[in-house]
Amino acid sequence: MRLIIREDPKAVGEYIANYICKRINDFNPTSERPFVLGLPTGSSPISTYKALIRMVKEGKLSFKHVITFNMDEYVGLPADHPESYHTFMFREFFSHVDIPASQVNILNGNAVDLVAECNEYEKRIKTYGGIELFLGGIGEDGHIAFNEPGSSLASRTRIKTLAYDTILANARFFNNDISAVPRMALTVGVGTVLDSREVVVVVTGLRKALALSKAIGMSSNPRIEEGVNHLWTLSALQLHPWALIVVDEDATAELHVKTVKYFKSIEFVQEQVEKAQAELKEKGKISEEQVGSME
Amino acid sequence: MPNDLVCFTNCLLPKEDGSLVEKDLWVDSRRGVILDPQKTFYLRKDRPDTVIDLGGNILSPGYIDLQLNGAYGFDFSVYEGSDDAYKQGIKMVAERIVETGVTSIVPTVITQDKSVYPKLLQLLRPFSPPNAATFLGWHAEGPFLNVAKRGAHLPPYLLPAPEGMKTFEEVYGADNLVDAEDWTMAGGSQVTGVRIITAAPEIDGVMGVISKLTRRGIVMSIGHSIATSDVATNAVRNGSTLITHLFNAMPQLHHRDPSIIGLLGASPYLSSTFTPSPARISNGLGPNKSVGSEAIDENNTPPQSPAHLLQQRFSAIAPALSGTVTPLHVNESKTPKTVPDTQEYKAQTLDFERPFYDLIVDGVHCHPNSIRLAYASYPERCILITDAMKILDPNLRDGVYEWREGKRYVKEGDKLYLEGTNTLAGSLVPLDKCVRNLTKFTGCSIGEAIKCATFNPAKCLNIENKKGTLRPGADADLIVLDRHGNVLSTWVKGKKVWDRS
Repeated sequence: MRLIIREDPKAVGEYIANYICKRINDFNPTSERPFVLGLPTGSSPISTYKALIRMVKEGKLSFKHVITFNMDEYVGLPADHPESYHTFMFREFFSHVDIPASQVNILNGNAVDLVAECNEYEKRIKTYGGIELFLGGIGEDGHIAFNEPGSSLASRTRIKTLAYDTILANARFFNNDISAVPRMALTVGVGTVLDSREVVVVVTGLRKALALSKAIGMSSNPRIEEGVNHLWTLSALQLHPWALIVVDEDATAELHVKTVKYFKSIEFVQEQVEKAQAELKEKGKISEEQVGSME
Repeated sequence: MPNDLVCFTNCLLPKEDGSLVEKDLWVDSRRGVILDPQKTFYLRKDRPDTVIDLGGNILSPGYIDLQLNGAYGFDFSVYEGSDDAYKQGIKMVAERIVETGVTSIVPTVITQDKSVYPKLLQLLRPFSPPNAATFLGWHAEGPFLNVAKRGAHLPPYLLPAPEGMKTFEEVYGADNLVDAEDWTMAGGSQVTGVRIITAAPEIDGVMGVISKLTRRGIVMSIGHSIATSDVATNAVRNGSTLITHLFNAMPQLHHRDPSIIGLLGASPYLSSTFTPSPARISNGLGPNKSVGSEAIDENNTPPQSPAHLLQQRFSAIAPALSGTVTPLHVNESKTPKTVPDTQEYKAQTLDFERPFYDLIVDGVHCHPNSIRLAYASYPERCILITDAMKILDPNLRDGVYEWREGKRYVKEGDKLYLEGTNTLAGSLVPLDKCVRNLTKFTGCSIGEAIKCATFNPAKCLNIENKKGTLRPGADADLIVLDRHGNVLSTWVKGKKVWDRS
């Protein structure tokens, strides 16, 4: 796993957007071979979306051949409710980029048969050959998508009851009326996320610092991480071969200084390696794509 | 082939609260309506193939002029030659007026010989010529007006309505006043066209028909009137929802009887138990003397205001009102038996809705200070009108022009005089300039001024779902404005009909 540390949320968004832009353009998607992208909602990814929108407007990037799958949606909230994830995605991203509507997938929290909706969603992901890159954020309790603490790390797309913390945190979007916050959501599972070929997670702000340290932090021995734990579902990322976490300085507050230094050194080495690999490839000395990160 | 959907981007959209928001607008140019973008995307699974970058300018609903007498040399009140000639004339106005940002017109007919009305009003039914502004139906200004405030209306044609509804039907033509619930925007087969009638409520027979006509969806407007405060208040209670060209052709604001203008200061807490006093209706032949000269001792002869009447009638609750409505002290000797809870009382009585009022903001017909006073008193109900004569034409130079019956007038900037006099002969300032003037005169934002020429007039006509708004489903009648309110282009039903360049 790589951890990239940037100064502030804006710089984090720029980094991730650049990264995704490069991945999509390197993939060179076509209508027959689209790029399949998983997307989150919430405040953390907004700066990334803003940067991606700018790149589309500048002509550096196109979503014409990108298929998207969103992580989650509330149950029972009308799709056009101002706080629904349909509304969020349209307002913050889809309306501004050139993605065809037919290529957007969001769980339907108003489906008559919610279980069937979840199973169908998993199937749809498979028909596209799985997700190429899953972008995610985390909650203060370290949940990825709506996989609240205690979720199975092998979970698939399913109905999930929201944790009290999450309901409280979301109440600010519902006039601080806790009773108005939906109690349930449909969400991709931890397993669904881990199945994607690459996972990129954005973590910004002091309030997420504890969750970050629990998910990837180290105890006294820098070689032993906090451990994979279903109470901090983001920690499952440790099992993924190609994961990237991009954080701002604030989010590192609960990490040890040596942990931060260690990851900063990884970034430096990784850059060196990638540069060398690219040069070799240019000269025709290697043919295959690079897989896996430096660790 | 690209679809018919258009996305306007990089623009500021006026919201219905007068603010501007940076947002895209999606339009279906085939159906000519504004889309709900999110529903179009998720349910219709479509998005616009055409994207128009407006360069940071304002994308507003097209302006609505509730009072236009004519333009570009054509006078709606003059029938000459044939129906065809008249139709050609109104079509020409609709085609050309879009350069002033106006996409909806309520053509106004001033007082005529009563034999002319049925003919003229038939021709002024709702009408949408292609690539031009829409006629929403007519506004009859007269003939039930007060001769004392006749303005340019010809006295011999002014009438009372002794038989109430029957007189109205006789004058305008019964089939022009047909009761049709949703004739308003119902496609092409519109049968009737009455939108607004300006009448003086003190004229014999007028007060009695206000409620009947408003029930038919007609906007009853108070104008060319010397109504006292009580009469004006009664007119509103009966259903009048508009004041025609505020300040003009009505008594000026007198603090003891603020008359029609005073309606803008009326409290919403006028008691709901306030039964309209028997209207002291003047026949319009003499000035109403109800106010004043005997007011020697203010304590004994307080103003003849509704609040005063209220206190006289409901003295028991007067103390509850004293903080909110009026500090008058009458009937002090009586002690109230019961004092209802003030809040409860308010809730019961929140039923007096002040009317819309329209203003000619040409800098000539009203002093800028008066405009600011009126606007500040009730911005949500302010409507901008041109009240323009046929000389309206932003391309016209200053000079002397023919009017009618051999008279000529002199255009001098925004002023229009009868030749050889200094009598104002009507207005000629286009509505887009009125919008810009309002920002200068009142200090309101351009978004707030736009609202007075779009959403407010639409709301007054009860068509705010269709016109004067950017709500999904509304007609895509749009104008692009720079940040100062200069019109850059005009769109009707999703198609561009005029461009400055």
